[in-house]
Amino acid sequence: MTHYLKTGLLLTASMFLGSSALAEDITIRMAAPDWGPTRFMQEYANETYKAPSGNNVKLEIDFIPWPNFFDRVNASLNSGEQKYQMLVSDSQWLGTFIEAGYFLKLNDLIAEDEELQAIIKDLHPALVSGYSTYPNVPADKVAEMGNYSPDINYYGFPQFPDNYFTYYRTDLFCDEGENAAYQAKYGSDLPCDASAWEDMTWDDWGNIGEFFTRSAGETLAGKTLESDFYGVAYQAGKPLDFSTMQINAFFWQWGGGIWDESNEPNSPVLGVVNSDENVAGFERYLELLQHAPPIAKTGQMGIFEIQDLYMQGKIAAIIDWAALAAPVVDPQTSQVSDVTGFGLMPGNMLNGKLDRSANLGGQPFVLTTWNDDEVIAEAIDLVKWWLSEDTQIAAVKAGGQSGLMSVLGNPDYDSWAPWNATYRQSLPWQKDLWHVPEMFEMLTQQQEEFDRAITGQISAREALDAVAEFQDELLRDAERLK
Amino acid sequence: MSGSFRKHDQASKLRAACAWIVGGIYFAPVFWIILTAFKTRADALAIPPKLFFSPTLDNFHAVFFNVSSTGDVTGTGVWLYFANSAFIAITSVLLALVIGTLAAYAFSRYPLKGNDTYLFVILTTRMLPPIVVIIPIFLMFRVTGLSGSYLGIILLYTGFNLPFSIWMMKSFFDDLNPEVEDSARMDGSGDWTVLGRIALPQVLAGLAATAVFALILTWNEFIFALLLTGTETRTVPVAIASTIGGEIGVHWGKLSAMVSLFLIPVFIVTFALQNQLLRGVTFGTVRK
Amino acid sequence: MVMQTSVLPPAFTEKADARGLLQWINAPERRGPLLVAPALATLFLINILPLLWSFGLSFFNYRANRQALPRFKGLENYADLLTDDRVWERFVTTGLIVSSSVALQLMIGFGLALLFAKNFPMRRLVLMLVLTPMMLSFVSVAIFFKLFYDPTLGILSWFVSLFTGESFALLSTPQGAILGIVVADAWMWSPFVMLLVLAGLVSVPGYLYEAAEIDRASAWTRFRTITFPYVKSLLLLALLFRTIETFKTFDLVFLITEGGPGSSTETIAIYAYRLGFQFFRTSEASALAYMILFVVIVLTSIYLYVVKRRNAAEEV
Repeated sequence: MTHYLKTGLLLTASMFLGSSALAEDITIRMAAPDWGPTRFMQEYANETYKAPSGNNVKLEIDFIPWPNFFDRVNASLNSGEQKYQMLVSDSQWLGTFIEAGYFLKLNDLIAEDEELQAIIKDLHPALVSGYSTYPNVPADKVAEMGNYSPDINYYGFPQFPDNYFTYYRTDLFCDEGENAAYQAKYGSDLPCDASAWEDMTWDDWGNIGEFFTRSAGETLAGKTLESDFYGVAYQAGKPLDFSTMQINAFFWQWGGGIWDESNEPNSPVLGVVNSDENVAGFERYLELLQHAPPIAKTGQMGIFEIQDLYMQGKIAAIIDWAALAAPVVDPQTSQVSDVTGFGLMPGNMLNGKLDRSANLGGQPFVLTTWNDDEVIAEAIDLVKWWLSEDTQIAAVKAGGQSGLMSVLGNPDYDSWAPWNATYRQSLPWQKDLWHVPEMFEMLTQQQEEFDRAITGQISAREALDAVAEFQDELLRDAERLK
Repeated sequence: MSGSFRKHDQASKLRAACAWIVGGIYFAPVFWIILTAFKTRADALAIPPKLFFSPTLDNFHAVFFNVSSTGDVTGTGVWLYFANSAFIAITSVLLALVIGTLAAYAFSRYPLKGNDTYLFVILTTRMLPPIVVIIPIFLMFRVTGLSGSYLGIILLYTGFNLPFSIWMMKSFFDDLNPEVEDSARMDGSGDWTVLGRIALPQVLAGLAATAVFALILTWNEFIFALLLTGTETRTVPVAIASTIGGEIGVHWGKLSAMVSLFLIPVFIVTFALQNQLLRGVTFGTVRK
Repeated sequence: MVMQTSVLPPAFTEKADARGLLQWINAPERRGPLLVAPALATLFLINILPLLWSFGLSFFNYRANRQALPRFKGLENYADLLTDDRVWERFVTTGLIVSSSVALQLMIGFGLALLFAKNFPMRRLVLMLVLTPMMLSFVSVAIFFKLFYDPTLGILSWFVSLFTGESFALLSTPQGAILGIVVADAWMWSPFVMLLVLAGLVSVPGYLYEAAEIDRASAWTRFRTITFPYVKSLLLLALLFRTIETFKTFDLVFLITEGGPGSSTETIAIYAYRLGFQFFRTSEASALAYMILFVVIVLTSIYLYVVKRRNAAEEV
């Protein structure tokens, strides 16, 4: 399409040869999931984007339904149809498509462009690590190098950065009667505001879950319940990466971890993936599911299921993504829109410190490898426009999120969305899943074993032993493990 | 006599009552979907389920209009998707019908060497899981530059409707009495005249049934529409899939509204051609 | 040159005459090939070519997400798959889902057909109620059945709780998950079986029943000796046709259970998808696809054999 347009334009242009400025029509086509953050990008580009080059640049987003986004992108890339100049990618897909030669390495472009360097330096290091680096460089090392170093390979920029935290019912957690009862039973107060959530541990989470689990006929905050009410929930679903996203947090918080791709081929799997710490964390994760709604038993409790249960007023608190928060405070979709507060996810006491490590969500956007220099230059200008402070502020105000420290540091930032303060506070705790091309195979097998444990077919240790054994063999075959 | 008649009448009433009950139970999930189209999200997910509620047309509004963050109302492009679905389905079905009918007539009247083998291979190609051929088809589309164009997806659907059209139409031609055609030939009519004036008019109902079934299949096709259409050529099933996921798991009301709207043309056409259904579902391999 | 002319149309040997060529093509002995040609050409281009391409791939170690040149592996992919427990487990799961779903479809479809075999007021309309599920897309059926099965927001759990007082999570056990899928699939497709059986029932000559009434044969005897023989072969057709289709089922299972709990509902079509689209083992996925195709071809052959035998029997 671009080329077709360009040839057409060259013809037109040649007719006017001699006139000084030659503005070209260039279309940047980007594949993106069909939802708010990308719809906003299209609308806002239509309204405000003027290419600094003077060319007539149009961003044309191909909106693809979320459930089929990967299939479409994958088929398009692998067929070599070279349809897209840019695309939104899940961070985990980076290695797969980089090693296939589809995503453009940006180092040379960044090296000669101080504006880009400034943007990268302004991004939160956790996002640079998760969304851009391959081979992956962990967030703390990225931070050490001041985000920008020629030794790191850069590929993507945040399109929609995301992390998860607690959504809770203020009408319940701040209810006097409930507080008195909770105090009597557990000797502490229910966390009624964001600052109270900063001290919460998984022990408290379990107490809260137990406390608020009620049957039909019992009272809740002074009202008689017509149907069962549930305590707490987080993602525990087989589809996509649902359970892994939450379980990884438990691994890290208990001092364990996942296979460290940044040290391949010297980082082991056996003894790490099935370490005692991981087993302890995973056991705790499973144990806390007893306070969850019964759908947890089916292994289908994904991010949307808990969001729906929460919005229907069936559950006291959940842990879910920032991306899913807007409908929860919208009276059109939610029964609890005016009684919802946001707070940090609980943490675990590790070495005397409350650890809140969590798995990064969200998506970067990248450039593809088949564009000519002119298109690349225009695409980079688009990146700069998207990551400019003005655009990012507009995006956050429209319900999106930003990864720029300058935007997060804006004194008004917290007021643009009720969950912004929480999002900002949890950002430093984010780590990401593997990015290597073997990721999908590892993830699928792991989700399957986790699912067995969640549905009570096997124990935490059995699941992790099976996962470790599989990953060890797979990574050895792929020569990522010695 | 009158007693037996009454008995028969009673049996018929009983049968009708049973059928209504069974039909009602059977239709309940569909009825549920249609009801949901008129519900708010809270009502849609309410337990115990709400049969009586204050209906809303918001979901249908959402099918046709987007309200942006700034409050601007823009069309969702659903009309374009409906037009695309209709255009792509009708064109490809017509093409498949023309090509397929000619072939079917040949398979019926002028058997080739290995006639059955051809027919077997043709049927088999229709029975493969689509995932098998996605990547190669993508490659072909890339080589020919057809990706995202109407021509590409129409050709593809033509190819997928062909086996069906051939098998269906062959079954109808097989049913005809060849003597009628032979006597026309005796009277000096050429083969083309026989086909156009004698054979085809006798299978008009069959043509209609084939068209309807091919239309339903094409109308519902999802995976190739997802992978091979562009922004401008997108069809309704892909738009329906957009109501799942994003900031919210399933946009229950909007999904139901789209499914309900999408069902209307199929429902009408099926009702009108109910008697031809049987032949349709079996690719013409079974006829009474 | 002269040697070759014999295979060319005569018109070419004399002069390139368009009308001569047309006449040659239109000759009565070429009528069959001529009429079939456009169809075969289209089919070759759209359906056969991609199949051959992926057949070729199945002998290599090609991975769509690697730049390394593919290496020829011969039959290794097939051998690997045939010795892989995971593959067999998924074939068994598929077999279990297919057989129970098809059995249920046959029973329900048969019952429906008996009900609709005779005319009654507004039969056409009531029949539409039963036929509608078939016209829905897999995606919408799957999404809504998953909601129906939800232990908190679903109607099934609510209904069960009226009796037990407790919520009910159907999809929490392997057996329950299979049941959930089978019910959704059977609901959608038993009308298909009904249509087939109806055709058989309609073809039973009325005088046979009259004769049976005179002999005072019991309802069971009438069914066994008169109705069933006429419907038998059609039932077999329904069985085979539905087996082939259910064998391919992907969306319904994927959206309701995603293969869970564990891998207890993971069908072979889902596994082929994972191999090809998630694990990027493109060549292995092609090989597995051809194993599926083999099963489909065997089933199709049986199907066509039965069709032929039935048609032959009818002509006698």
